[in-house]
Amino acid sequence: MYNEVNDSSASATLKGWVESYSDSMYSWALHKLSNKETAEDLVQETFMAAMVSMDKYKGDSNPKTWLFAILNNKINDHYRHAFRNPQVDGLPDVEKWFDANDQWKSEERPLDWAADTGHLLDDSDFQSVLHACMKRLPDHWFSAIQLKFIEEKNGNAICLELGITNANFWQILHRAKLQLRKCLEVNWFKK
Amino acid sequence: MNKVMLSCKKATELIDKKAVANLSIKEEVMLMMHTGMCTACTAYQKQSKMLDQLLHKHIQGTDEGNVPEVSNEELKRKISSKF
Repeated sequence: MYNEVNDSSASATLKGWVESYSDSMYSWALHKLSNKETAEDLVQETFMAAMVSMDKYKGDSNPKTWLFAILNNKINDHYRHAFRNPQVDGLPDVEKWFDANDQWKSEERPLDWAADTGHLLDDSDFQSVLHACMKRLPDHWFSAIQLKFIEEKNGNAICLELGITNANFWQILHRAKLQLRKCLEVNWFKK
Repeated sequence: MNKVMLSCKKATELIDKKAVANLSIKEEVMLMMHTGMCTACTAYQKQSKMLDQLLHKHIQGTDEGNVPEVSNEELKRKISSKF
């Protein structure tokens, strides 16, 4: 049912929400996604979805909470979409660290990081380096990692949900981890 | 290549597979034999476990309230213009 008065008040409400919450929504999306464009798109889509379902917003929850719930759903949908539609060109070559016999090249052998995990978890400089290394991964590798760790689900459950084989999933995680460990070794542990 | 021994490339695959899926008994044994004598893959195994803990904490330990605020005025204008 179209009602012009409600429509304009809905539009004023939405404008107010954009003013109040779009920066924190964008900041969050930027943190959770591997690139800026996707973050912008998803924040915009969140507000479009909010407009369409304004009548479902009862006003009994904080609008920010409601908007973030929509945004988080969109972020998770993006991970699944990215994983199902993998980039095929320009992927990092994770085999270059092995020689013709598939053994580690001598200069690429992993080092003993000799670090205390508990300490690193609380080190904000380390967290920034880890974050930067994650953002360098191809989107579908990044998304596989997010899907793996975002919920306490096992590999099988995630694969069922995505409709992919288990082998496909762990192989992507494996490549992502090879790439991440190298990035961390160069940018943190060797420094 | 000795057929009973895994290559490092295959061993690292099994190390990461083990974190997500079950290994067969044969895979378990071959991986154990490999890491028993390969210091690089033993180091990789430790790093892989550590990465899992670090990623878990990095992803689950962050929420909407503790990411750095980035302002995006252009996006704000773009969205507002639609209402």
